Amino acid sequence: MLSSRDKGTVRRRTSAAVALGAVLALTATACGDDGSGAGGGEGAEGSGKGKITFWDNNGGIRTAVWKTIIADFEKANPDIDVEYVGIAATEYQSKVDTAIQGGGLPDVGGVTASMLAGFSAQGALEPLDDRLAESPLSDKLNKDMVESLKAAGGGDGTLYSMPTSANNGVLYYRTDLFEKAGLDAPTTWDKFYAAAEKLTDAGKNEFGYTIRGGSGSVAQALDAMYGQSGITSFWDADKKKTTVNDPKNVEALEKYAALYKKVTPAADVNNDFAKMVAQWDTGTIGMLNHNLGSYQDHVKALGVEKFRGIPQPVGPSGKRVQVSNPVDGLGMFKSSKNKEAAWKFIEFATSKEQNSKFNESAGQVPSNTEAANDAWIQKAEPTKLAAQALNDGSTTIVQLPYYLPDWNTLSKSESEPGFQKVLLGDMSAKDFLDGLAEKLNEAQAEWTEQMG
Amino acid sequence: MITKEATAPAPAPARTDHAPPRPAKKRRPAWDEVPRWQIYLPLGIYLVFTLIPFYWILLFAVRPAGSTSLVPWPMTTDHFEKVWTDRGFGTYFTNSVYVGLATLVMTTLVALAGGYALARFDFKVKRGFMLALLCSQFVPGALLLVPLFEIFAGLQMINSLGSVSIAETVFQLPLSIILISNFIKNVPYSLEEAAWVDGCGRFRAFRIVVLPLLRPGLIAVGSFAFVHSWNHFLFALMFLNNQHKQTIPVGLNSLMSADSVDLGALAAGGIVAAVPVVIVFAFIQKWLITGFSAGAVKG
Repeated sequence: MLSSRDKGTVRRRTSAAVALGAVLALTATACGDDGSGAGGGEGAEGSGKGKITFWDNNGGIRTAVWKTIIADFEKANPDIDVEYVGIAATEYQSKVDTAIQGGGLPDVGGVTASMLAGFSAQGALEPLDDRLAESPLSDKLNKDMVESLKAAGGGDGTLYSMPTSANNGVLYYRTDLFEKAGLDAPTTWDKFYAAAEKLTDAGKNEFGYTIRGGSGSVAQALDAMYGQSGITSFWDADKKKTTVNDPKNVEALEKYAALYKKVTPAADVNNDFAKMVAQWDTGTIGMLNHNLGSYQDHVKALGVEKFRGIPQPVGPSGKRVQVSNPVDGLGMFKSSKNKEAAWKFIEFATSKEQNSKFNESAGQVPSNTEAANDAWIQKAEPTKLAAQALNDGSTTIVQLPYYLPDWNTLSKSESEPGFQKVLLGDMSAKDFLDGLAEKLNEAQAEWTEQMG
Repeated sequence: MITKEATAPAPAPARTDHAPPRPAKKRRPAWDEVPRWQIYLPLGIYLVFTLIPFYWILLFAVRPAGSTSLVPWPMTTDHFEKVWTDRGFGTYFTNSVYVGLATLVMTTLVALAGGYALARFDFKVKRGFMLALLCSQFVPGALLLVPLFEIFAGLQMINSLGSVSIAETVFQLPLSIILISNFIKNVPYSLEEAAWVDGCGRFRAFRIVVLPLLRPGLIAVGSFAFVHSWNHFLFALMFLNNQHKQTIPVGLNSLMSADSVDLGALAAGGIVAAVPVVIVFAFIQKWLITGFSAGAVKG
């Protein structure tokens, strides 16, 4: 039991603790600053001057080039300050989603096609069609990229993100190993499979291919499937049923998944892109499927002489079929209180000079058609070949349904464990694709119903 | 006043000659009777498994980009210079130290007060409070992100290192309070009573009698709070929107982009992140083990 003296002491201590807590809170508050718009607010056009905040959706590796672009922008627009915040790609969507719910969104943010449906469904993005129509850039952007972003924005045909660049699937192969083995470049799927087998000597830790079995595996498997089957649309003619479980795709996936452990390291079942790229750069592996983004990593590790990056192999019909890669872009958040300045920044970043600078650094295909003719593209072979493949009519792109709000979940967390089972032989390719198709068809039906 | 009635232990039953003989106890072999390989081989295997990943990190951090050498030679500091200056790890490091120390101080102070109350006072909802403390450990931080974000936004604390420190403290407190409460229970109440008899108030008695005896416990709780906040990623990512206020884990994460990763910089950044934790543990390991074993005596 407490005596009255004890109780008095406790009261005094409680008061002291509350006071201490208040002091700590006030101290912390003193260094706080929100400084950006609240989620869900309507924002304002603003004066076109002052400070804007820009969240980079692929911060870190691109920080340097964005800081250069921002410095140029601030020089050209001395009344506007841009605060740059680089956010890792893996965490970007969850950070924006939290800010949409809780407030604190930036004025401008990177918004790729794969994020558009989610952000626009929450009403977080400002439509850009009218601003683009009045901009000198209106006829200088790659039309396919604009259409791709419009299609991904939730289905109402509104443009919510200004395209900055396009990525593309690339087949990287080690020219030194191919020459030594007397192999031709893997330009067809038959040559790809033959080379993978010939370059494998598991006893010497040499493999023909590295397969992606961990995070991001399904998009890569879809690319291999459609590339071999030659099916050119993700949906049937009625847009109700997906073609992922078409018998030709099932056959293609069976063949592709059978590569695991036969011509690949056993650890590949857990490969995300970082592990896959690291083991290709440091080991003895003949081929790797990834995209343009890792080109500079391979150059640093291997030098330009030891490898090439070419577009995906062509199928038996002689036609190349690839699945779409998300187009990257810049979106303006509806809650921005300085939309005029935000638009000036977006316009500046997609202008010829800046768009060229950004894509040269990122190794990707520029959205600005004038930038796409710059000299650096001729020197970066994978980018040049990707740009050609995307523009010369030799390639058919199967558009993945980024507009489905569930697409990211369905193609990642809900499917990747199943694909691992296929690699390990615990599930058939048919069962895996049938399950995926069922979920996709449901999501498509739900989306169609919502869109009326 | 709390008193404990002393009772003599009951006498052991007398042994009779008819009692069955106890099985002979197997004697533990002395240190010098065990063959050395039986000690060093398992330890060596364990060390190989533990240290190879660290060696790998060190190798990537110090060998030049593009090198496939398995030994860290020739050596370069390029990756360290890159992360420390170009990638802002110098700033992130300072911010992490700030958050770590603030969390340490706040957690220790509040846990001391809460732990003392739980150890020395009986109150109506004590069991319910203990249960609530334990239950709060089952709630993942991610679940509370949006409410915490809204609270800090309301307090104008988004983008402040204080918000991260407070959030970290809140999540550290339940375990810390329980630990400190157990440490205090191990300190005989009669010591405090003796100090009161000598004229001390409760706070002074606590400060000069109990507090010095809690040193291992305070070091255990404080270091745990520091290391946890040093490594924690989620709150810093969500509550800080300024490049110059980010912490080491967020900086490390940003070394991996969507489709490219600079392994040399990532390894160098990993070493920058790990070194303070290793140093902290090297200095406090003696206290830490004492602290945790003392805190584990009473539940």
